[in-house]
Amino acid sequence: MMHGYLYLSIILFCLGIVGVVARRNVFTVFMSIELMLNAANLVFVTFARVHENIDGHVLAMMVMAVAAAEAALALAVVILLHKHKSKLDTNVFSLLKG
Amino acid sequence: MFADGLFIVFATLAVLGAVGLVLFRHPMNGAMSFVVTLISLAGLYALLSAKLIFALQLIVYAGAIMSLIVFIIMFLNIQPDDLPQEEMKLFYVLVSAIVVCPIGLLLAKIVKSLPVHSTAIMGNKFGGVKEVGLLLFRDWLIPFEIVSILLLVSLVGAVILAGKRGTTK
Repeated sequence: MMHGYLYLSIILFCLGIVGVVARRNVFTVFMSIELMLNAANLVFVTFARVHENIDGHVLAMMVMAVAAAEAALALAVVILLHKHKSKLDTNVFSLLKG
Repeated sequence: MFADGLFIVFATLAVLGAVGLVLFRHPMNGAMSFVVTLISLAGLYALLSAKLIFALQLIVYAGAIMSLIVFIIMFLNIQPDDLPQEEMKLFYVLVSAIVVCPIGLLLAKIVKSLPVHSTAIMGNKFGGVKEVGLLLFRDWLIPFEIVSILLLVSLVGAVILAGKRGTTK
């Protein structure tokens, strides 16, 4: 039964990578990153259950806190970029290109 | 078995929500299907007897973070014309899926070599608030404090970034 959870987490992680690589919408890219964090969380909790050790739960909580901090900062950046360019396309945001 | 059936239902919903997130054009549709993924992941945490993480996933992820994202999507008032023109979207999705496939297969092979363990639902004394809280404040106190500093820094940074005035061109 444990394998099912790990396979599911692999599938979710790969879908997250596909979302980051293939899509150009800023919000979709951002939520795909969140999807990858969630896949990692699922592995933490699964192995915590398998080894009957709660450390994995604490790590999952840390990941959630980091995701919350990241969400606040990333959305502030998105608002700023939208204010400057009024676009949501990642190809438009090339200010750092030489 | 009842738990196996629930696992299949939640896993299917999670994968469908993630596929919807990748494929929907408008970010609001993507966010809604991502909420389905997050809630079904909360169900999976409950099946793994992680009671505190189950509640936190519902409250923090599906509640706070997703409502923040949906709020910003609505705040920017995105019209269909503002969205990027992604004519080659399906092609890109297909190509990146082909590129990612070997990584997934490698990970699946690693998982296959692991010994089988039961993940039957445990009763008390695992994953409740008391056990996780004791561990968090004994062994993980310094990481916990560092995370609190991180949250403070990101709060200040978000306020400074989003609240900038007079810099719009």
